[in-house]
Amino acid sequence: MRSVARLLKFAGQSVLRNFWLSFVTTSVLLLTLFTVNMLIVMNVLADATINSIEDKVQVEVYFNQGTSEDIQKSVHGYLAALPQVKDVAVISAADSLEAFRILHADDPEVLAALAEVGGNPIGDSLLISANNPADFEFILAALDSSPEYAPYIKEKNFADHQAVIDRLSDFSDQVRWGGLGLAGFFVLISVLIVFNTIRVAIYVHRDEIAVMKLVGAQDWFVRGPFLLEAVFYSAAATTIMAAICGFILKFLEPQIRSFFTGVDVSLTTYYWEKALLIFGAQFLALAALSMITTLFAMRKYLKI
Amino acid sequence: MITFKNVSKIYKPETKALDGVSFHIRPGEFVSVVGTSGSGKTTLAKLLFAEESPTRGSIHLGDWDISKIRRAEIPVLRRQIGVVFQDYKLLPKKTAFENVAFALEVAGAATSRIREVVPQVLKIVGLSDKMHRYPRQLSGGEQQRVAIARALVHRPKIILADEPTGNLDAITSREIIELLKRINDVGTTVLLVTHDREIVNAMRRRVITIQQGKIVSDVEHGKYHLG
Ligand SMILES: Nc1ncnc2c1ncn2[C@@H]1O[C@H](COP(=O)(O)OP(=O)(O)OP(=O)(O)O)[C@@H](O)[C@H]1O
Ligand SMILES: [Mg+2]
Repeated sequence: MRSVARLLKFAGQSVLRNFWLSFVTTSVLLLTLFTVNMLIVMNVLADATINSIEDKVQVEVYFNQGTSEDIQKSVHGYLAALPQVKDVAVISAADSLEAFRILHADDPEVLAALAEVGGNPIGDSLLISANNPADFEFILAALDSSPEYAPYIKEKNFADHQAVIDRLSDFSDQVRWGGLGLAGFFVLISVLIVFNTIRVAIYVHRDEIAVMKLVGAQDWFVRGPFLLEAVFYSAAATTIMAAICGFILKFLEPQIRSFFTGVDVSLTTYYWEKALLIFGAQFLALAALSMITTLFAMRKYLKI
Repeated sequence: MITFKNVSKIYKPETKALDGVSFHIRPGEFVSVVGTSGSGKTTLAKLLFAEESPTRGSIHLGDWDISKIRRAEIPVLRRQIGVVFQDYKLLPKKTAFENVAFALEVAGAATSRIREVVPQVLKIVGLSDKMHRYPRQLSGGEQQRVAIARALVHRPKIILADEPTGNLDAITSREIIELLKRINDVGTTVLLVTHDREIVNAMRRRVITIQQGKIVSDVEHGKYHLG
């Protein structure tokens, strides 16, 4: 306990004595964490956006006119039983017609054409939602290849959301890779800066280290303060990062929300729920990184 | 207490600093090691202190074989040997008290023990009234006293002093030697490495003379006899 207190004291002295170096080191670690958190935010936003679009992807399957209700029911049952299918809704021909009319209310030509045909040209239909939009291919193929049901299906309308989703995930993947590259770059810079800081700290304390060895200090007592120094920088950077995140989220959440209208995204909730996990993990990773770097710096410069 | 048996030390690539050195020092002895510059005196001290390891031969301290010491044991050894150097090796940003206390701190001593022991050893070296001064506020002799106080703080069985008077004038040197003698009088073995002819001659204690890494004489009540 006593020794730990003394190690902390020595480490603290080292941090304060090289104030500017400590400042720069913490700043670079902070920048690294910043890129990592940007990455997290990008991920959350991209996922939320893609999810919300995916949720809207539905396929409508139209029956031939006059398909009996029994058949409709068994197709419904067949589709609903597929594990890939999330939901199947029945839409009556009348509802479909009504919806069509509303959709084209401003389009007299279409309405005129509809009147000319007379009656209801649209059959009953099923509206399918999948758990995953990629499954639609499978679901529709299953329907096509079923000899009992295929003949009753007039057409399938697969609104082409998939292309949008693909483009979006391509883009978010690119951003993710870019972010990862940037984070990697900052990790590298961090390693170099921490290495240099510890090297300087060892140099500044060379007399103390020599005396420590002279009077019989254990190795861990000589090394301890430098490792603690690394932990200290990591803790400081993580704390500042957490504060900045809290601040940004509190004041920017409304803007973010309005930018992503209709997308259910709450970064605040995300961070709030996982704050301990997110920043705890960041601290541990950063501390591990800087301690390993410190070990290397000590191996090179701390001859004991 | 201390036994060197056929000890040689070769610094890479081929400096033979010590060459087949053997001697034995009994507990409570006051032994001076003399020799010209480069004869291997400091090397001998470093071997005893486990700062260097011998190329050949064995070094025993009590029933401890220092030539085969494990890294983890070195701090334990060093707390049993108080060392004093020509350049004092004090920390400039610490007061006399703090410099002495530092040796106890890094060894994990309790604060209460530090408060008790540090004034005691500073009193032994006669610096009770100056313990809150920084090294730059002390004379060379006083700084060396602080260093001796620090060496005493673990109550070592041996004091190893490598040219402790090298930077001091004749009168101050004599005072430092007197201090080492008093420490020796209470039972601490003292190994003094020195150049100083007058000191050695006035002492009339055992003198080991080294030349080019070899012991050329080892006499009780010796004199300094080098050209
Ligand atoms: N670390 C080292 N590496 C290589 N050679 C060394 C090293 N230390 C000492 N020597 C050489 O070993 C020899 C003995 O050196 P040592 O320091 O023991 O002499 P000394 O008797 O203490 O001299 P002085 O009276 O000048 O202090 C010298 O030739 C010196 O150059
Ligand atoms: Mg020497």
